[in-house]
Amino acid sequence: MACERYLNAIQEAVDGTLGSIRHAELEMHLLQCEACRALHEDLQRIHDAAASLPVVEAPDRAWLQIAGRLRQEGRINEQTSASRARTSYMPWLAAAAAAAIIFGSAVAVMLLRPWMGPTPQTAQIQQVPAGAVKLPDERAVESAQNAVDAAQDQFEKAIAELEKVAKANQQALDPVTSATIEKNLGILDQAIAENRAVVKAEPASVAARATLFEVLRQKVTLLQDTITLINEMRKGNNAAAAQLVNKS
Amino acid sequence: MATSKMTVHPSAQRAAGPRAAELQLVDRCRRGELGAFEELYRQHSGRLHSLALRMLGNPADAEDLLQEIFLSAHRKLDGFRGEAALGTWLYRLAMNQILDHVRSRAARTGQVTDGLDDATLLADTGSHRLADQAIDRLDLERAMSELPEGCRAAFVLHDVEGLEHREVSDVLGIAEGTSKSQVHKARLRLRRLLRARV
Repeated sequence: MACERYLNAIQEAVDGTLGSIRHAELEMHLLQCEACRALHEDLQRIHDAAASLPVVEAPDRAWLQIAGRLRQEGRINEQTSASRARTSYMPWLAAAAAAAIIFGSAVAVMLLRPWMGPTPQTAQIQQVPAGAVKLPDERAVESAQNAVDAAQDQFEKAIAELEKVAKANQQALDPVTSATIEKNLGILDQAIAENRAVVKAEPASVAARATLFEVLRQKVTLLQDTITLINEMRKGNNAAAAQLVNKS
Repeated sequence: MATSKMTVHPSAQRAAGPRAAELQLVDRCRRGELGAFEELYRQHSGRLHSLALRMLGNPADAEDLLQEIFLSAHRKLDGFRGEAALGTWLYRLAMNQILDHVRSRAARTGQVTDGLDDATLLADTGSHRLADQAIDRLDLERAMSELPEGCRAAFVLHDVEGLEHREVSDVLGIAEGTSKSQVHKARLRLRRLLRARV
């Protein structure tokens, strides 16, 4: 057991606040006492290891959820956000733009759907007598699920178009940037799969649908940025390319 | 006679550069630009997440709180005047939220004291030292998560974040002597936990 009278001195030495006279006295004691020497060395190592602990990055989903909540709370100016993203004018980007329009339309349809008037199918359902409520509800859920599936198809088509353009031109990127983009796309794919499962489990949940669409939107944005980056690098505009890399 | 010319010292330029960039970024965030807020998040989330993770000792709580911190920061950006660096402003905001969380959790669980027995710790200062190899980061993180709440907070602020005991006492609202004793107990407890892992 370490000597009780030197415990405070050992801790203060580790803190770096022990005065020089007491420090000299402690040093003398440590030469003679193995237990106190071991304690001092261990506490110093713990202190040093704690001081050099690295930053632990938050999982990527944390940002996706923050972005989703900011959108839900109406705190994002979509026009400003979109206008800054438009930085490239190469003709072959027309495909990407078209895909984004399809994507945007699908989002609009899906997000507005819960507040829109009844579709012909649901109008028919409302004429069914009150006693047979259960079946129409199931059909309404099924109808909503079909609409979600249809919108997802649209998203996937849009994403596939963008991926095709990005992959065909990816050799313009350096391997490190390319690997980073691949990794981020993988993370987004996983998030999409998880959120799709949530939507399937809760087809009537507007929040679940909004989160899924937010992740899909992130993937479209990443693909658009990738294409813009390729474009800037081909033009030799290294400053704009560096800005984009920093952004991502 | 030589003409005098108004010049800006290079060090002042260097200092003004990042601050001006910060103010521009904040301004874009205030205008609702998501990309700007994402940039702000990418710059600062690592440090704040690490702080929350180590103070709370629970990854799920830390992730939830990180979201609340950044949502709260977005709401309060109008109040950011640029008197302090953006990182300092965010750190203070995060610390307040983390401490609120720690206090409410302590109130819920009824854990007020650090739960460490002085006699046990003193008896445990034997000569069986830690293994010679470097302390594994993950072992240390896990051992820290097992520390009692108050003890962990003081240790994280002092040994990990590098605050002085005086600053720790200000942040946690405790006496300076209490800060010292909490940090010292935490180190002894960590030594015991780390030895048990070898």
